[in-house]
Amino acid sequence: MKRKRNIVSLLTALSFVVLAVTGILAFARQFSIQLVGLHALMGFVFIGLIALHAVNNSNHLSRYIRTKAIWGTLVVTATLTVIFFWQPAPIRNILRLSKNLGPAIDRFEIQDDGLVYQYTPASNYRMKLNIRAGQAFDAKSPPHVAIWLENASFYHIKTLRGPDDLGAGRTSLPYWDFKVRGWEEAKQAAENSNREISEQVEVDGLSAATQNSSFDPADYVLPGDRDNPMPYRLLIEIEQPDDDQPSLVYSVEIDNSTPRAFQLLDLIGYPKREEDEDQEKEVWSLYFVDERFNSALELINSALLTINRSEEPTEPLKP
Amino acid sequence: MTDSTHDNDRRNFLQRSVFGTAAASLAIASTSHVTAQTAHDAAEPEVTNEVDVLVVGGGTAGHVAAIQAGRAGAKTLIVERGSQLGGTTTTGGVAFPGLFDAWGKQVIAGIGWELVRESVELDGGKLPNFSKVPQRHWQNQVYTNQFLYAILAEEKCAQAGVEIAYYEFPQAITKAGDHWQVDCVGFGTRRRVRCKQIIDCTGGAELVGLLGFPRMREEERQPGSFLYKLGSAPSPGREQLHRLYVHGADSSNSRTATVANLTGRKSILEKARKTGQRLMHLQPETGFRESFRIEGETMITVNDYTSGRIFDDAISYAFYPVDLHTKTGVKPKPLQRGKVPTIPLRALIPKGSRNLIVAGRCVSSDRLANSGLRVQASCMGMGQAAGIAATLAAKAGTTPLEVPFAEIKSLLIEHGQIVPGQV
Repeated sequence: MKRKRNIVSLLTALSFVVLAVTGILAFARQFSIQLVGLHALMGFVFIGLIALHAVNNSNHLSRYIRTKAIWGTLVVTATLTVIFFWQPAPIRNILRLSKNLGPAIDRFEIQDDGLVYQYTPASNYRMKLNIRAGQAFDAKSPPHVAIWLENASFYHIKTLRGPDDLGAGRTSLPYWDFKVRGWEEAKQAAENSNREISEQVEVDGLSAATQNSSFDPADYVLPGDRDNPMPYRLLIEIEQPDDDQPSLVYSVEIDNSTPRAFQLLDLIGYPKREEDEDQEKEVWSLYFVDERFNSALELINSALLTINRSEEPTEPLKP
Repeated sequence: MTDSTHDNDRRNFLQRSVFGTAAASLAIASTSHVTAQTAHDAAEPEVTNEVDVLVVGGGTAGHVAAIQAGRAGAKTLIVERGSQLGGTTTTGGVAFPGLFDAWGKQVIAGIGWELVRESVELDGGKLPNFSKVPQRHWQNQVYTNQFLYAILAEEKCAQAGVEIAYYEFPQAITKAGDHWQVDCVGFGTRRRVRCKQIIDCTGGAELVGLLGFPRMREEERQPGSFLYKLGSAPSPGREQLHRLYVHGADSSNSRTATVANLTGRKSILEKARKTGQRLMHLQPETGFRESFRIEGETMITVNDYTSGRIFDDAISYAFYPVDLHTKTGVKPKPLQRGKVPTIPLRALIPKGSRNLIVAGRCVSSDRLANSGLRVQASCMGMGQAAGIAATLAAKAGTTPLEVPFAEIKSLLIEHGQIVPGQV
């Protein structure tokens, strides 16, 4: 009997260690189905072990319940539950430290049949990107992927998903990197000059209707002025590290004034650094894909963007 | 169909052009001299021409049509109401022609592209790289020196044996047997032209209207653009000019065009007074976007256009967004990836007509399709095809629509044009 108790206690302690480690990692790292799956399933095992542990120690437990401390512990537990569920500003600030807020905000999964990305910036707005794997896609050696938003003047406004390996990703996804650096430079210049970021970049004045006034993603994704929504673009850059072919860029324009639930992304081209010596800064442009490309074109079979919009606007989950 | 004096004329023309260009380059520092050749019929108030092909209008489509007809062996006369060739590219100042490419490949070439390319090369400019993905549709339009373009167009007309008649416009057209008789008036001149084929490149299908064939026109036209430069000197072939939208601009006739020009110039004068900036450049007239369109043997609908329908008798590709300008500006609707519209020969033939073909923005099309078809590269493509069709019809003694399409297609390819379904 005593041996059984020892086994249950040890299993409970070890499963708690696994739960604690996976819980911290799940908070600190981007969403991973392996990590969250391990945490959840080990949680069920832990519940069973706790039940056995409670039975084994029922005498001690019943004595604890009969002490006055029970009321204090109940109050503390109830208070924490209410606060964590209600999530006032300080609690939300702590949650923002997490890189994995699960499906509430942002979720990325690599599966055998492709990649799934979900972005839910408000309760009435859910974006889902299904990237269906092509023949060259290998989930065991997944490609570098970046997903980002650009405004109507082709300026990066938000990276939704950067590469897991940032160092290697910046090299293998040069177009995304170029766009992000441009954005960071504009931000830095704005901070130095106390001007708005939108004033830092050259506004295209040649063609009309290039809404470029805002660099706040919320103004595009969740437009406050429903009569004047601003179109924006979602882009993917994808590269298979070992195929000796440049990355490819796919894109789709999203216009909330003519909302569409389903949109397929188009292959736009591949990035190439401009060799014009007149260019003072490093500039990357996209070029049409030519006959040199083969396996890179087989990474993605299709990329489908689905946006669910409900009528009633609600407060964004994330400012 | 060739004139024995053409070689002599060509030499004289080239000499004049070379001297003229040299004179222009030295104009600020000194005055140079060149003597215009005396026109052999200058003293004659009335002249008569017998030609195979008469091209009316020397604009975007017209000069290409005339050069093509001349090169294909037709005795050709081009009549232009203004003082130079090139139309919107030169007189209108939209020296930014396009689009010659679609989705990474060139889709319109031929004489129009030859002129643009040579203008850019002579000007030391830069041609766009068509393999580069344009972020905006206009990024592969070509910065062109409007002045060089106009002179090169004249040179190519001369080389092709095309006679140019500036400051003239047809007043009356009658059918005389198997010929057209077209009476033109200039200042101090009258010209009677007997021709086998007419190519109407007036923009608003003026001859089609004179002949009584039906035309279409919207109740309200898209705004025109008056191009100018305030403050700093313009840099031809390197940048665009300032643009003034002239709402209500209408090129339907000389009175409406006059009103548009007066309105535009008055507004630019106000700007100069208000800003205190120097007026450094002003085009001679408004660039008009639309007036009349013909009712053709077929009509290109916006659905044909956006779906990239390949017509059986397609003579040229076209590529531009649906681009309807309004009082509040323009929001171009890009074509879907991979779609490249085409232009059928039948859309250039006024319904029920014979020995008459049009080229340019008056192509038979609905308004939205026309908003994409009206741009320069497409009009050049139409012009070249019209030049071929009219020449072959004149040679065969028939009408353009009865020329075997394979012959038109073959000759277009021979003259450097890209024809849908070519490969």
